Amino acid sequence: MSNVNTGELLNFQDYSPEHNDRSARIDVEAVHTNQYSSSMSNPNYTFEEPKITEEPEAAPQTNHNFWSIKYYQKYFDVQTNEVVERIISSVLPQKVSRNYFDERIKGKPDLYGPVWISVTLIFTIAVSGNIASYLQNTNKAVEWRYNFHIVSIAATAIVCYVWIVPLALWAALKWTITPDGHDEIETQTSKSPTMMSLFCLYGYSLSIYIPVAILWMIQVFWLQWLFVLMAAFVSGAVLIFWLLPALRKSRYFVILVGCILGLHFLLATGFMLYFFHSPGSVVKAPLITSTLKPV
Amino acid sequence: MTTFDSKYDVSKMFPAGDVGVVEGEMNIPTQGASSGDPMEFNTLDEPIKETFLRDLRAVGNKFYHVLIPREKTSLLKEWDLWGPLLLCTFMATILQGSKERADKSNDGGPEFAEVFVLVWIGAAVVTLNCKLLGGNISFFQSVCVLGYCLFPIALALVVCRVILFASQTTFLFFLRLVISLVGFVWATFAATKFLGDSQPEGKKALAVYPICLFYFILSWLVVSHSNV
Repeated sequence: MSNVNTGELLNFQDYSPEHNDRSARIDVEAVHTNQYSSSMSNPNYTFEEPKITEEPEAAPQTNHNFWSIKYYQKYFDVQTNEVVERIISSVLPQKVSRNYFDERIKGKPDLYGPVWISVTLIFTIAVSGNIASYLQNTNKAVEWRYNFHIVSIAATAIVCYVWIVPLALWAALKWTITPDGHDEIETQTSKSPTMMSLFCLYGYSLSIYIPVAILWMIQVFWLQWLFVLMAAFVSGAVLIFWLLPALRKSRYFVILVGCILGLHFLLATGFMLYFFHSPGSVVKAPLITSTLKPV
Repeated sequence: MTTFDSKYDVSKMFPAGDVGVVEGEMNIPTQGASSGDPMEFNTLDEPIKETFLRDLRAVGNKFYHVLIPREKTSLLKEWDLWGPLLLCTFMATILQGSKERADKSNDGGPEFAEVFVLVWIGAAVVTLNCKLLGGNISFFQSVCVLGYCLFPIALALVVCRVILFASQTTFLFFLRLVISLVGFVWATFAATKFLGDSQPEGKKALAVYPICLFYFILSWLVVSHSNV
């Protein structure tokens, strides 16, 4: 019910026609305004609209301009429980049905999850990377100061990963899928996944790194590697699991699977060595500081 | 109706080409007087001091409403960006690191511009997220609310800055941590109170989460700021 308060504030002011009784024309306009504002005062109006126009496959045909917010609203049309469900499905795929990806994510990919999971991961890494370097320096006499520019490095790495890898995978799937003997009219599940659904899938697959980034603060070398292996294996396996029907039809099945898993593992290793490992034992350390200095 | 009638009459009395003197009355509907709007007064001949103080009072009033977020109309009705600008400039000035203190393993904290841009871009992105989720709120209203709700965090920054003048112990670090945490919770609570209702029921958590993240990052900057 408190919705109504905010709604009233933001609506057009409804001037009653008594003030304008000199002119019949204005009266007509006032009636129009009344109708308009009464339809606008329904708080669900703006939120229902993209739902009505939304069709899984007819997305580009909607007449919303590419540059307007309305165009992107269909990628943010998710409820809280859907997002939670998708995060769970990116870690524990057995919790949801076998063709969850085909049914839900492919039909209605969202960008809310990928965007905010990436942002969360960037700042989680920045915060816990700083705490890790603090823990490394507690025994030394050096006064510790925090490193703000971890944020920009982590952001570059994650944004590149989340956008470039799905794009490459989408292109690879598009051009290497061999047409099998079936008819053109096939079920949706056998088509190669759309670009948006790959972005969505990759974004959600990063969610496991958020708790892992917090656990990486523990300065035990073998434990950190264990977390790398575990996180990369779990989310990489989930990625393969969802993409398997599409991947299987590609001519370069093994290469693609290898690339997906390899990049995922590389990302985790890179995070761990770069942000969480004490620089003393890594050969790369001088290089890191020299790149940071001119910033 | 009136204008049409008079025109009609004029053209009947004076044939085409011979227009002569057109007489009439201009009637403007006196809306301001009838609605009794207090903002409708004349500001042309008032002293500058009064104008300035009135605006200052409006900004101060909004700060007060952020600290005690009981009713949500005050910030949403008339947005301004003066408060956010003041807070943002203040925080960026205090939080900026210094190049002299940077050594080879650290960069001495963020620059002024980095904090400044982080606040504005962050507020803009959080607002954009609200709009994309389908919230019915205007862009600047939301930026205004998010900016004004930085006030508790700015207060926490002032207190932490004062604490930093003493010699640092573990206890004082935890004190700073707790103070920033209180500022974070306070800011998030206030912003949620103001903005939460603009979202449909099932998406409220989705809109509130980025707000939390935004204030969390700024609180983190406050805690980790240690350049005296």
